[in-house]
Parts: sequence; structure tokens; C-alpha cells
Amino acid sequence: MSQPIRTAEDLKGVEAAGLATLYPDKLKIVVGSASCGLAVGAGAVLAAAIATVKELGLDATIARTGCIGFCSQEPLLDLLLPNGPRISYARMTPEKTRSLLAAYAKSGELSPDMALGRFAGEEHVLTGEGHVYTSSQKAAEAVPEWSSLDFFRGQQKVILRSCGSIDPLSIDEAIARGAYRGAMVAIQEMPQDKVIDEVINSGLRGRGGAAFPTGQKWRFARKAAGDTKYVVCNADEGEPGACMDRTVLEGDPHATLEGMLIGAFAIGAQEGFVYVRNEYPLAIATLQTAIDEAEKYGLLGDDILGSGWSFRVRIRVGAGAYICGEETALLESIEGAAGEPRSRPPFPVVSGLWGCPTVVNNVKTWASVAPIITRGAAWYAAMGTRSTKGTTVFSLEGAVNNSGLVEIPFGLTLREMIYGIGGGIPNDRPLKAVQAGGAARGCIPPSFLDLTIDMEDRPNESLMIGTGGIIVLDDKACMVDMARYLVEFFLDESCGKCVPCREGLRQMAGIMDRICTGEGSEADLFLLERLAGTMKAAAVCGLGGMAPSAVMTNLQHFRDEFETHIRDKQCPAGVCRGLAPTGTTN
Amino acid sequence: MTSDANQQKVATTNKDDKGPCGAVLVCGGGIAGIQASLDLSAAGFRVYLVEESPTIGGGMARLDKTFPTGDCATCIISPKLVECMRDLNIEVLTMADVAGLEGEAGHFHAKVQKRPRSVDSAKCTGCGDCWAACPVRNHPELPAEFQPQIQLKAEDATRLDEILARHEGDPGAMVPVLREINNAYRYLPREILEQLASRWGVRLASVLRVASFYDQLRLEPVGHHVVEACDGTSCHSKGARAMLERLEEKIGVAAGGTDPSGRFTLRTVRCLGLCASSPAMRIDGQNFARLDLDGVSDILEQFK
Ligand SMILES: Cc1cc2nc3c(=O)[nH]c(=O)nc-3n(C[C@H](O)[C@H](O)[C@H](O)COP(=O)(O)O)c2cc1C
Ligand code: FES
Repeated sequence: MSQPIRTAEDLKGVEAAGLATLYPDKLKIVVGSASCGLAVGAGAVLAAAIATVKELGLDATIARTGCIGFCSQEPLLDLLLPNGPRISYARMTPEKTRSLLAAYAKSGELSPDMALGRFAGEEHVLTGEGHVYTSSQKAAEAVPEWSSLDFFRGQQKVILRSCGSIDPLSIDEAIARGAYRGAMVAIQEMPQDKVIDEVINSGLRGRGGAAFPTGQKWRFARKAAGDTKYVVCNADEGEPGACMDRTVLEGDPHATLEGMLIGAFAIGAQEGFVYVRNEYPLAIATLQTAIDEAEKYGLLGDDILGSGWSFRVRIRVGAGAYICGEETALLESIEGAAGEPRSRPPFPVVSGLWGCPTVVNNVKTWASVAPIITRGAAWYAAMGTRSTKGTTVFSLEGAVNNSGLVEIPFGLTLREMIYGIGGGIPNDRPLKAVQAGGAARGCIPPSFLDLTIDMEDRPNESLMIGTGGIIVLDDKACMVDMARYLVEFFLDESCGKCVPCREGLRQMAGIMDRICTGEGSEADLFLLERLAGTMKAAAVCGLGGMAPSAVMTNLQHFRDEFETHIRDKQCPAGVCRGLAPTGTTN
Repeated sequence: MTSDANQQKVATTNKDDKGPCGAVLVCGGGIAGIQASLDLSAAGFRVYLVEESPTIGGGMARLDKTFPTGDCATCIISPKLVECMRDLNIEVLTMADVAGLEGEAGHFHAKVQKRPRSVDSAKCTGCGDCWAACPVRNHPELPAEFQPQIQLKAEDATRLDEILARHEGDPGAMVPVLREINNAYRYLPREILEQLASRWGVRLASVLRVASFYDQLRLEPVGHHVVEACDGTSCHSKGARAMLERLEEKIGVAAGGTDPSGRFTLRTVRCLGLCASSPAMRIDGQNFARLDLDGVSDILEQFK
């Protein structure tokens, strides 16, 4: 079965095998079993499904899949009827599973009242083709189509192209949806520089936060002197409130692996590392299986696709340190040392792992590469805004009705995101602020809602939200408390190498403590501003430089709330203990 | 002249051994020790400043600037050095170690051992020529090779062998090996780290430096179950703090500790990656999300 893949015919053969399990001609029951599903009971739902199928003697296959993104509706169970359509059921429990399957076994009843949405077909983003479910079932038509749900309208899946649709442990199913075609085209048909040109033309920029043009980074590494080169996937995702990278690795590990394969080929690397944070055991296990399977097919290892070129990928697991997401600290950690950042320059593309040229990219960046090769740079560049092309994934969470993973082309506004896709705020409470783009960005007020999401800050136009979660805060949140929280976070995570960051954050935390307990004075605000200036100017790495801006943003936009805490000893939201919860009126 | 008056008083009370004596011993002649000595002297105490190296001043003179004012470090410390040496109430004892301490607060008897300076300090002008000529200093003294204090039990030794064999030839093996030891023992036992250092021929300090850097590597044993409550931004906005307090109350230990019975260790983490279903926690690697306060107790019950 696992003959090495050499030619397009070989790939077609695997594709056929994958399609047979992906769209079988009998009933298929699929349970979303990523970490987010399992944490709310998907394991019990899966067990109930297996038991019920056995009990009822149903002729069905049962499969797991990754997260389709709609976390607030999990656990999700899909029924893929023979020849379609596919119907999703939300917020499942073992009891609901039993009654659903029993009703179906008895009379083909689909229980549309329990259903969330229906897929009329599947889009295979990598090939531009798809799979149409042929049989139409009258009963199924009562169920709304997925694409008509608020949560999915406006979304465009490129990075998450197969998450929630394939069994992440099956390379065949990934290939059935077009995986490794891009790698084959790149390795067998394109000169290395052409691959890089294509990525440059697509306008792809790093999705890890810094938004550096990916193709250019690759070009630097390709031009750098040296025979030994490395590619590294940054899956450290230390940003609190972000879970996109986990979802990609758990749901479609081959998306990232294929990207790394193409990138490694383009720069001439022989080895790759994926640095995954310790908190993601399922992602690590899934990725390891994916690597093993790809090696069996000769897509990783020696003589890849018959080209004579060898490339291996290894997983390195973090051990709980936010700073290891910073690329030079990450390289230190891979080398086995404590993850303290290095001074730059030299940049990793010149001197990275063990002093060799190294390209570090984020999971989502790598996962965006294959579609650029198969569909072309122009196709990719047609999505997004003038300055930032393509799509990216956010986790939308906090006080919103629909929370989960959302993939959108750049250029949507925050309002469309929160009130469109997110379905608004529970109980129609007023929106107070949004914490978006990572902890260092602080909280922004509703007046920013109509700015577009982009990777550049342009006044009155766009907002840089490079990475992270979009955490919606309603009027129950206290902005002073959030500022204190963010400072404490950075204080915890400061590696302690440089004084401005280590001591500056300690002082800031002390000041925030004072303000939150009613001991603050007007002078404290002035002190905060001075400290922030010093830290920004003098810290060694991004962490110390960014940390003060979180507080400064909160202070800038919510100064009156700080002043209420200090002058009136009141916390309008009633969050800060020991302060009266009354409003600002007096 | 209050200090004189005080010293008078000290002398008298000291004789009949009733009140506290008026002398203080300061250990360490860095900037902190110097400042403490100066302040104590100004407050009227007799000060003995004991320093193990040949000079006072410590590490500060090596710094470029001081935080947060950005002042020049040498400019701050040099006047203090001069002041300290000139202060008649301060007796500076360099190349000295505190060899013993007896008595109680107010009446300590300290034994200070001075190491030979091999120089007549009355005649010394500080020219430094003796350094170049010194036969003692120029004789290299290599530290003895590190030897582990404790012999490993046979099973631990085989386990360590297996772990090391898996990472043979990997130049970045330190973190993966420590992770494996941490997973096997649920913390990093000291004797194994010592053994590791000697096998790799590195200092124990280098191993400890890496071990203490990472949150998930633990230097102390943990309870039977490890409860990790998320305090990421999303969970924080959904009441993680109240949840943590409930956990602390139920388990009976503050975050970071292990309860007396050894059943649970409670700690906080920043984000478990379940942010869209917050608040979340993890027990022994099993995730729980969309928690409410009452549900927490039921979940704890599942872990005996
Ligand atoms: C303090 C700090 C933390 C970071 N954390 C992450 C992270 O968790 N994940 C990530 O992909 N990039 C992180 N980055 C950005 C990386 O340094 C680097 O820019 C990125 O991995 C490059 O990949 P990209 O070009 O694909 O964005 C962090 C940067 C800083 C300064
Ligand atoms: S913030 Fe708690 S799981 Fe991410």
C-alpha cells in the first residue's frame, strides 16, 4: 500500500483510496475530536456513537475529524448520508447521539430540529474542484446550508481548507483533497527561484505577528552562504487567547508539512523542525503520525518524489515559556538551551540554528504555501487588501454568541467580525472593548470597530491585527483590571535577561496593584508613562518593548476609568475587589 | 555627635550585658552592603563590614548604567566607596569569612576568619605590581571534576541510559532529555540531574539553568494529580480568577502549591488553546472547557 509516490499517477492512486474513505457510499458518522471538542465531551459522544451503531447493527463507518471552527457549538457530530449530503448536529451529548441514530436507523429520520447546518458539497481549495453530494434528500432541505449561517458567511477557508473535513491521521484523505500536489509541482517542475518568485508575487506575509514578507525571507535564506540550511515551523503559540495553530496541526497537519517541504526545497534545506508548545499534546501526536505517514510515501525522507533531494522533519516540544515563540529564543530552545532571545542582527536567515541560515515561519504561514503553488500567486493575491494579501485565522472569543476559529480574507472590519460572524454579544449587552492582535496590543474601544483588519496600522482606515485571538469584552469587563492582567502576564513571562523588562514590569505591576486596590494616585499614571518610555527604548527583545504598550493603549483609550479608580476609589464594572462597583456618576 | 553619645551608651550597657550591644555585622561588601553600613553608621552603630574578596564594591562597578534612572554606575558607587573607607565607625574586613555565629539577637558573637593577604597593608599603596609577581595567583587551580554525590539506583540508571540513548548524537538534546526525565518522574530529581551533568561533562549549574527556565520542568515533586487552571486572556475575561479561587478553596492550597495530603498540585498556565470554549482547565493532561463554578467540584471528584 505504501509505495513511495513518484509520479502524478501514483498520487492519483492514493487520492482514489482517500476519496473512498472520505466520501464512502454508506452512512458515515463523523465526530469533531480536536482538543476543543474533547474538552467539552466529544469523547463521550464518539463512544456513544460507536456503541449505538453496534447495538442497532447500522451499516456505517465512524470517523474522527479535527475542529471545523465552530467551537461554541461543540461537540459536533456529522452524518454523511450515502452519497450526501452531510448534516452537522451541534452541542451533542451521548443521549442526543443515541436518539438521533435510533431515529435514523428506524425510518431514515434526520431530526432537522437538532441540526445546525448542511453541506451541499465540499470545496477542495487546493485543486479548485470539489465534491458535490449527488443524492438530495427532501428531509435534509429543512436544514440550513452551512454557508448561510452567520458564522460562515464572510469566511473563506484557505489555511483551514481541510480542518474538520478529513481524518487528520489519514494522509490519503489529505491527498484526496489535493495535498502534496503543490509539492510535486514545485519539486518536479519548478526551479527553486521560481517557487520563491511565486510566493513573493502572492504577497504572503508572516502570520506569526511580525508580518514580514515570506518570499523575501526565503530569498535571503536561499542567497545566504552555506550548504546546511534549516526551516523551522513556529507552533509555540504562546499568545494567551489564541488557538489557531493548534487547530491547524490537529485538524490538517499535512497543510503545514507540505508548506515546509516546499519552503525547504526552495531555499535548499535538508532538515526542518516544528517547535510545538508543550500544552498541545494532541497536536504533537497528530503531527508525528503525519510525519511518519509522509515518510512512508516518500514525501519526506530520502529521494523525495524521486528528485534525489532529502529532507526530514523533526518535532521539538517546548516546556512552557512564552518567550520561546520569539524566533531567536525558539532557536536557542531547539539547540537545547534556555530560551533567551539573541540580539539581532545577525538575523536567522543568515545565522540561525547552529549558525546556519534558517527560515522561521508560523504554522499558518506554512499552511498558506501549498495553495499558492497549486492555484497561483494571482489567485492568492486577489484576496485581501491593498497591503496584505490572502486570508488569516483568528480565534473569536469572549463575549460573543458564536465563538470559534474564523478564517477571513484581510479587509473585513471588526464590526463585521463581531456582529456578523460572531453574531453579536450575548443578551445584547454593550461592547466595551476588544483585545485583539495579541496581549501587547492592549484593549481598543468601540470607535475602532469600522477599521479594517489588516497587517498595517493606517489611521482611520485599518488596524494591525497580525495574530492572536479577538477577545470581545462587554460592559462587565474592567479596563484597569485588564491592564493589570496584561502586565502580570508579561511579568510572568519575562525571561529576566535585561533590566528594563525585568524590573520595569515589576514596578508596573506594583503600580497597577495600587490602582486596582484603591491606593493609586495621579502621580502613578505619570510614572507609568515614564516607565513605558524607558522600557520601550531599552529592552533587548520584542517582549520588553511591546509589554508597556498594552498598558499605554488601555490608559490612552480608557483614561477616565483609571481616574475613577484613583480619584473616586470606584470600579465602574465592579471587577476590582475592595472598590465600590458604582458607576462614574456622582 | 549623636553617634559618640550612642557609643558611650553601648559601652556601658554592654558591660552588664543587659541591653543590646551597639554593633552590627554586615556580610558582603557590594553596593547593598556598603549602603547598609553607611546608613547604620549614620544611625550610630558600630559596623563590621565583612567581604570575602580582596576589595569592597562588588559587581556594580562593572555595570554601565543603573535602572531605572540610567545613571552611570561608577559615578554612584565611587563616592560611597570612599565614604565607607573613611568612616571611623565602619571597620572593613576584606578577604574574610564569617566562620561562626553564636548568641541571640542583640548579643551575637561572630567569629571572623581573615585569610592571609601576603601584603603588608600598612605599606601598600595599591600600585598592583604584586599581582604580576604573585606566585600564588599565577598558579592555575583547576576546579575538581564534578562528581555526583549520590549513586543512582540501578533502575534509575537504566532508565537514564535509555533516555540518553534515544537522544544520542542530537546536539540540542538538553531540553528533550530533561522533558523525558520530567515526564518519567513527574519532576527532575536532583540526583539524576547530577548524574546527567557528569555524563555530559557539563556543570550542574548549566543543567539547572535550563531546568529552572522552563515552567513545565519542575524541580520539586508534585502531587498525585496536577491541576492546571488557565489564566489566559480569554479565560480571564470569562472569570478565570473566580474559578481559581474556587479550586484553591476546594483543594485547600494556593496556586503553585500541593495540598497536604499530596492529592493535588494546583498551578496556573497561560492558555491551554481552548480559548473559544473558555474558561478552561486541565487535570493530568485531560482538558475541561466551558466550565462553571459548580462543575469544578464535580470534576475534581473524578480524580481520587
Ligand atoms: C515576544 C514574542 C512572542 C512571539 N510569539 C510567537 C508565537 O507564539 N508564534 C509565532 O508564530 N510567532 C511568534 N512571534 C513572532 C516570531 O518571532 C517570528 O516573527 C515568527 O515566528 C516568524 O514567522 P512568520 O514570518 O511566519 O510570521 C513572537 C515574537 C515575539 C517578539
Ligand atoms: S485563554 Fe484559556 S484556553 Fe486560551
